[in-house]
Amino acid sequence: MFRNILKKGRRLAGLGSLVAALTVVAPAMAQDKEPVVFGGSIPLSGVFAFAGIHIHAGLTDYTNWINSQGGINGHPVEYVMEDTAYEVDRSVAVFKKISGSSSPATYYGDSTGFMKAIASELNSQGDTLMSGASFATALTDNEQYPYQFIPGPNYSQMFGIILEYIATQGEGGDMPTVAFVYSDTEFGKDPIENGKARAGELGIDVVEEIVTKPGSVDVSAEVLKLRRVRPDYVVFHGYVLSPINEFMVQMRQMGLDTQFMGTFWSSDKLIIDKMGADADGYMGVMPYNYYDSEESGPMLDALRTQAEKSDPEAGYRPTGYMQGWFNAMVWTEVVKRTLDAGKELTGDNMAESLASIEDWDTGGIIGIPVTVRNMSFPVGRIWRVNAEEGRYEPVSDWIHLD
Amino acid sequence: MRIGDAKQSYEADEAIWTSQTQKLWLGFFLLILTVFPFAVDSYLLYLGCLVGIAVISTTGLNILTGFTGLISLGQAGFMGVGAYTVAWLSINTGLPFPVTLVLAGLMAAAVGILVGLPSLRVKGLYLAIATLAASVFLHFIFAEWESVTGGMGGLSLEPAHLFGLTFQSDFMMYFIIVPLAVLMVLAARNVFRTRIGRAFIAIRDRDISAEILGINLLRYKLMSFALSSFYAGVAGGLFAYFYRVVTPESFPLSMSIFYLAAVIVGGMGNLLGGILGAAFMTLVPEALKLLTAALTPFYPSAPVFMSPMLEIIFGALIVGFLIFEPHGLAEIWHRIRRFFRLWPFRN
Amino acid sequence: MDWVFFGEISLAGLAMGGLYALIALGFVIIYKATRVINFAIGEIMMFAAYLFLAFAGGMELSPWIALPLAVIGGSILGGVIEKTMIRPMLGESPISVVMVTIGIGSILVGLVEFIWTADPQLLPSFLPREPVFIGPLYLAPKIAYGFLIGSALLIAYLLYFRFSRGGVALRATASDQAAAYSMGINVRRVFNMAWVFGSLAASLAGVLVAATGGLSPQFGIIGLSVLVVVIVGGLDSILGALVAGVFIGWLETVAGAYLGGEYRMPATFLVLAVILVIRPYGLFGTHEIERV
Repeated sequence: MFRNILKKGRRLAGLGSLVAALTVVAPAMAQDKEPVVFGGSIPLSGVFAFAGIHIHAGLTDYTNWINSQGGINGHPVEYVMEDTAYEVDRSVAVFKKISGSSSPATYYGDSTGFMKAIASELNSQGDTLMSGASFATALTDNEQYPYQFIPGPNYSQMFGIILEYIATQGEGGDMPTVAFVYSDTEFGKDPIENGKARAGELGIDVVEEIVTKPGSVDVSAEVLKLRRVRPDYVVFHGYVLSPINEFMVQMRQMGLDTQFMGTFWSSDKLIIDKMGADADGYMGVMPYNYYDSEESGPMLDALRTQAEKSDPEAGYRPTGYMQGWFNAMVWTEVVKRTLDAGKELTGDNMAESLASIEDWDTGGIIGIPVTVRNMSFPVGRIWRVNAEEGRYEPVSDWIHLD
Repeated sequence: MRIGDAKQSYEADEAIWTSQTQKLWLGFFLLILTVFPFAVDSYLLYLGCLVGIAVISTTGLNILTGFTGLISLGQAGFMGVGAYTVAWLSINTGLPFPVTLVLAGLMAAAVGILVGLPSLRVKGLYLAIATLAASVFLHFIFAEWESVTGGMGGLSLEPAHLFGLTFQSDFMMYFIIVPLAVLMVLAARNVFRTRIGRAFIAIRDRDISAEILGINLLRYKLMSFALSSFYAGVAGGLFAYFYRVVTPESFPLSMSIFYLAAVIVGGMGNLLGGILGAAFMTLVPEALKLLTAALTPFYPSAPVFMSPMLEIIFGALIVGFLIFEPHGLAEIWHRIRRFFRLWPFRN
Repeated sequence: MDWVFFGEISLAGLAMGGLYALIALGFVIIYKATRVINFAIGEIMMFAAYLFLAFAGGMELSPWIALPLAVIGGSILGGVIEKTMIRPMLGESPISVVMVTIGIGSILVGLVEFIWTADPQLLPSFLPREPVFIGPLYLAPKIAYGFLIGSALLIAYLLYFRFSRGGVALRATASDQAAAYSMGINVRRVFNMAWVFGSLAASLAGVLVAATGGLSPQFGIIGLSVLVVVIVGGLDSILGALVAGVFIGWLETVAGAYLGGEYRMPATFLVLAVILVIRPYGLFGTHEIERV
């Protein structure tokens, strides 16, 4: 326990240095231009805190970095956030507070629930562009959510990437079979219909679908179900950790040689840290390069340097950090494009700038140039856990959906 | 010290407004409520609306739990019924909000009666479990009856409208929510001057004795369920108009517990207590955040250790009030009032 | 119908049901002695599981030392809760006492988040990992061994309550408090012991369940399933807890396997609703007679 507390102490200290300034104040710049504000409802506590803390670190570090580069077209950047505990009503309260006091150009939303609840307000205000922790398929509906975008592929597109990878793995004309295992939540059910449709198009047989409660549940009966159909691949969605581990361990105990795959929020180091050797071979779809991957690029290097500078103790930075950084990168690009066009930073203008992003070089954060489609970046790569090395290694090329 | 408050007739004793001073204070309070939205920023306005919705729901639960002695863990479920009713009606019929809100209340009341039916045979904690079961079923229906509820993704609806006015902003919503809250609290106040309200209280104090006094237990218990759920349904309907999206995850069990806690902290069986409790419990997290912000310069890790505090404080408030101040905030309020009224004498 | 599959599913369900029976036993002990419905039982389980995590994971003790330590820790927690927060509520309405336990649950969740953060956790694995076959039927090793350990404690409990002095005191207090008091039984002590023993059963079950399903501050939700078990079995019946525990565990698993995961809770709550309507005091519970 002492070690645990020590570990936690370190983590607190690390976070402390970040939170010390809840607002990353823009440095005074020569031109004295008006600051561009990044707002955020960030889950520093509650069930999503494990990611929220790193998202916050990513956003903070990016803000400091961009300011060290002279801001956006000379405009300094200010990052204003508050904790939400991952509760929708409190997220909304934070949004009202921040939008009332500092009129943010862009905003980080912490959950699908929040993004949906704030949509009407956002649409009627029309001066903020929002993205965040959610990759929900629904949010790529431009009619209903014109000012919200997804900083990567949405969950359906993640399934698309996974299925496209699986389709290439068939041997001798045999299409592999797949089973979907997902949680009984809005998050969990999001991509299932689209996933099944896509599998049908690719000729992949979805042999079983399993719904469970998220988190701590006994899944031995569900494992038995999978044992009967013996899928070549099991795709998890809507979990962070449990019960993925239990499915993997029990199915391997049964001697099945099934491959296990997951989507963004279940493809972090957490899986390796908690499962140890059992995690070996688990695959995830990830639109960004991992912090410790062998890839490089000017932006990825800048990210690593900045992360090193802000907290030399931290070492590896989780996917939440990359996600936070990438969100802020997109915001910067959008604001820059809008300003370059000589337009005001309104929701419409920024959404237009976002839609104009084509073959954009992300400097190594994403391995290939990306094009925005329907307010999302439908790109990703399949990575596999190498438990011995304690990290994910790429097993596919970058897959860019049309 | 205020003197001369002796009542000389039963009407005077039963009257809602017992003194001139009371009317004066109430007028003053209403004035504040009216001025409030013009004076504050969007953040406080939002909190004001939240408190208004919470007051309606808490008052409803107070009728059932505080006044009739029937504990319910289904409040969030009933609110969900109201919210889905409003969402469905406004999407499919486009009726104006006063109609949809009333229908939301009635729909929730109907479900409430259904859930209350076991109260003929079971009571106390068994009844609480029955309401818990109801909330599990309701969640299941919200999530699975896709053609009506939109499944897990839920329903998005248009803003409330009436006579060509749309109530899109919080500012506009405030003028639906708060007057409605005032109205519904007053209505509840009136209920407890009637036979029905007194029957509720008799049932709470000793149901068997009440039955011997000629109170039809089933009828009045169901009535209490219906009334309470009506309030919950209206609150849920307002919730739907306020956020304009309703999903099964909007109404978790923790929300039912939140309202129970509000009733307890405020003071069971006391309408003023319900109001105080609702406001207090809604504002505690925000107050805690202010405190966190104030502490952060001195203890940089404050946000991390303060947030689990919310959970602890929430529980400690429930336990603490039950052990040390069972009559809740309302009793504290009365004590303060008594102190001033009796000043300079001791009570 | 595939009978082997049905058999395997049932077996998994029954094993889980064994753990439910153990938790329900803890619940019933507390209720029988003190007439308190303990909504915090899930959180007590969670707390013990976190203790196990701290001892076995953080301090790297052998799991077989950590397990008893965590279970003892959980039972001390139960004793402390009774002394500090339940005893002052003696004689208050049952609704108030229930709300106190709900409050305690919330406090425990906050404490756990405070000490261990809200991150999801896995317990270090300490049960054998070779598959278990009962005839042709496969059973996951974790639940099989979990069931064995759980049953051992369950049987120990039943023997203890049947034959020991403490057990007799407990049963005497349960059946007539005043009489027990006048016969020189220290009723306060019995109350406290009931909480300690009840929490002990819950704590062991907590570690075993967390070992199969993982751990997070939302773990306490399992308390809802246990609530169904005790209501169906009868709040004050040990036999009821055992039978209903096994049955509900089985039903939940079978419903989950054949209908889908979203039907687990509705299926058991449907049984609960039916029982509430036809036998409000549970299958084996005592029908209380009220006098004015």
